[in-house]
Amino acid sequence: MAQISESKGLMMKKLHKILLSVSLGMLATSGLQADLMSDAVALDVAKACDVKANGLDVVLATATKYNTEAKKQGLEFKRLGITNSNYIKATTEAVKTKNKETAIKYKSKGKEKTKKFSTDYAAWRACSFAIRALQQKHEAQSTWRLAVPGDGFKY
Amino acid sequence: MLLKIAKISALIALSATAVNAASFNAQAEKDRNALIKYTEAKFVDADKNRASFFPYSSDDELKNNFPKNIKHNAFALGSYAYNSRGKSQYDDIKEMPPYEDAIDEGAELYAKKFANGKSFKECFPKTDIAGNYPMFDDKKSEVITLTGAINSCLVANGEKKWNEKKGKMAKLEAYFANQSKEAGKKVDIKISSKAAAAAYEHGKKEYYSQRGYLKLSCATCHVQGAGQRVRAEYMSPLLGQTTHFPVFRLKWNSLGTLERRMAGCNKDQGENPHKPKSVWMKDLLYFMSYMSNGMAVDGPDIRK
Repeated sequence: MAQISESKGLMMKKLHKILLSVSLGMLATSGLQADLMSDAVALDVAKACDVKANGLDVVLATATKYNTEAKKQGLEFKRLGITNSNYIKATTEAVKTKNKETAIKYKSKGKEKTKKFSTDYAAWRACSFAIRALQQKHEAQSTWRLAVPGDGFKY
Repeated sequence: MLLKIAKISALIALSATAVNAASFNAQAEKDRNALIKYTEAKFVDADKNRASFFPYSSDDELKNNFPKNIKHNAFALGSYAYNSRGKSQYDDIKEMPPYEDAIDEGAELYAKKFANGKSFKECFPKTDIAGNYPMFDDKKSEVITLTGAINSCLVANGEKKWNEKKGKMAKLEAYFANQSKEAGKKVDIKISSKAAAAAYEHGKKEYYSQRGYLKLSCATCHVQGAGQRVRAEYMSPLLGQTTHFPVFRLKWNSLGTLERRMAGCNKDQGENPHKPKSVWMKDLLYFMSYMSNGMAVDGPDIRK
């Protein structure tokens, strides 16, 4: 009998540990999300994504960092069939091969397509799309009600 | 005496439940009534409302194309409610609607046996159900769309899921919509718990939030923009936006579900489309459908 209650106690302790680590993990993840969002909000897109001032590697790293978060939150931009992930992937490849032109492969209406941009421009776009996606979500927190009839929308 | 007390207690409990259930949709009802009021006011006389709502419309369209005094239920027709010329083309196409075969195929799909000998009849004993979806499942604490319910039925019976945007899914939904229309059913979305109200609020917030690289909200086009033109096309109103799905779109040359149309809207906003079974999509459709509460189910239909 004593053995059973001892093992029950051990089980409970284990369960508590697991619950604690899961809760801490969740807290850390949400904290990270909030950090990335507030980081993005504080950025000046023109400065953060300036290829001449920061270099391609830095601008691409910024794009990757914020686009990963934008994707997680379901905010990733897509322009004319090309997702921002497409931009980042192709531009990273162009930087690796020191190609001044970035060829982005993407699917549109079931067809494989390719579109070319200068690598500097593609990096700028990837970076600005990634940051703006997050900034817009933040802005929407205070603007969405302004469009609701019966609430903030006056006519 | 004891019986009396029990009866009174039961009555109090029932009334309390009813009051609570009503209160969960109180905000949604306010929103819906405000939307009806706004939409009717906007289209009471487009020419007179030019300065407020139609600054870029031409004299010709304001005077000759927009009917006057359009009332609530007429908006189920989408932009054809306020586009007389477009409506006459729509009426012509409706004489021989291209979706009729799809309704028949949907009926066959409904009756067809699965490999286990069962059929959709077990999951959906009634067929006039189009106006009841999306619904909130309190046990799962999530919104269940008709598309999701159909796929759940397939999986529960050992079948493969269908494409959520077109094909068999759109055909079966066309059958359900047609059955609902013929039975005179109206859109009847319920919000009967705190969690359901939260899902509705989430959907509402997303509908009105600007998104994508074009920074457009759904409302930009379908609340503030309803009745304005994008090139030659008039944008439809939120009011009645879900009553007629699935639709045969001339652009698609096929029948498509509401989820398919929404993915198109996401692309138009400049955003990577949300998956049909994502919480985002389901909550959004829940909100949109609630806005059409009380309007007749009139799908399937045709759109450009």
